[in-house]
Amino acid sequence: MNPVIDIRNLTHRFGRTEALQGLQLTVEPGRCYGFFGRNGAGKTTAIKCLLNLLRPDSGSVAVFGMDPARHEAAIKSRLAYVPDFVAFYPWMSVREALDYQAAFRTRWNRDSEADLLRRFGLDPRQPTRGLSKGQRTQLALIGAICAEPELLVLDEPTSGLDPLVRREFIRTVIGAYQEADPGRRTVFVSTHLISEFEGLIDRFTVVEQGRDVLTADADEARSKFRRLRAVFEEDAPSGDAFREARSVRRDGRNLELIVNGNGDRILADLKARNPLSVEVEPLTLEEIFMSSVHPGGGLP
Amino acid sequence: MKPHVNFRSGVPVYLQIVQQVKAAAAGGALRPGEALPSVRALAEELRINRNTAARAYAELESEGVIETRQGAGCFLKANGVSPLKRAVRSDRLAAELDAVIVQAHHLQVGDDDLKSLLAARLEAFRERQQTRSAD
Repeated sequence: MNPVIDIRNLTHRFGRTEALQGLQLTVEPGRCYGFFGRNGAGKTTAIKCLLNLLRPDSGSVAVFGMDPARHEAAIKSRLAYVPDFVAFYPWMSVREALDYQAAFRTRWNRDSEADLLRRFGLDPRQPTRGLSKGQRTQLALIGAICAEPELLVLDEPTSGLDPLVRREFIRTVIGAYQEADPGRRTVFVSTHLISEFEGLIDRFTVVEQGRDVLTADADEARSKFRRLRAVFEEDAPSGDAFREARSVRRDGRNLELIVNGNGDRILADLKARNPLSVEVEPLTLEEIFMSSVHPGGGLP
Repeated sequence: MKPHVNFRSGVPVYLQIVQQVKAAAAGGALRPGEALPSVRALAEELRINRNTAARAYAELESEGVIETRQGAGCFLKANGVSPLKRAVRSDRLAAELDAVIVQAHHLQVGDDDLKSLLAARLEAFRERQQTRSAD
């Protein structure tokens, strides 16, 4: 099956700033794909290239196998996008804003609309200019879900929302969006609030300085990445001995390593140095992300 | 029956649910004929991908632990007779035990200690089962 999103060697610069420097990323249909990066890592720039809001300087972008520059309308009819900052025509009510969006769509699920309005406690008569940031995001999400697109693109959807609203937001994405035909419904979510989306994401790419630095299945990454903590009788051995580790932190008698895949061999090396104790701990996606964007993390 | 998910266990999420449902069934917290939450409800409750929840149920169904009744949902199967051949069942268990043995090695737990721990855990499990069925 064709990938839903296929980004190859994508570069884009703003003046002297290289926002994207050879980004690679492929999203298969039915995935809930995480696009993780710090602020300024290039996430929004990449998403704008998917939506033809920006043109690549080099490399290629394909959505549903089509070039966004040549087939913008065809692509946009099959996807919905919730940006990090949502604006509506301020004179419209919630009801009018939804009707306005529905007018551009071939499909519109009135049942989901009523259900989500109730769930979020939004009053259809309320003018959109009076909505809080959280309510605006909720309204945009309702519009995206009711259109039942094949691809849902969320750009930092929960930043600036309070924890309760975030939780409800994520439940809504899970429940409503993938309800019908989950095999064909794809979610692409860019975020730096990774723990929020931990359970939802089944595959992810970490982007740092415009490059993909790690792509993996979530379960696989959680089973391979480990933190090894060793305490020694005397000073801990120098980190140079563990070049294969992704990161090394040494503090007096303590040595902390982050390993990926090659953990068993490094653990054996570590044990051969007779530490007083060794602890092995799997990592969460957020910790894996941290170790990828900041590999040297705290090297003394 | 309320499964929970630990993202720091290194165990795939779908497998955690499978293991918990099996543990609940074996320990009596889930009784034959009792309903499990729907895929959607489970996914929303745990805030996990629907595919993950569906995969857990598919796995449980293929192992004969639960059954899906069209339109009604998933239920724990009455006296769960595994559809898997005895050899397959042993192989699966052997793989799980291997993982425990590796873990014991890393934690520097010796062979004899491991064996007595297994015996103690078996006993604790039987006791729990008896208290449950006495309820």
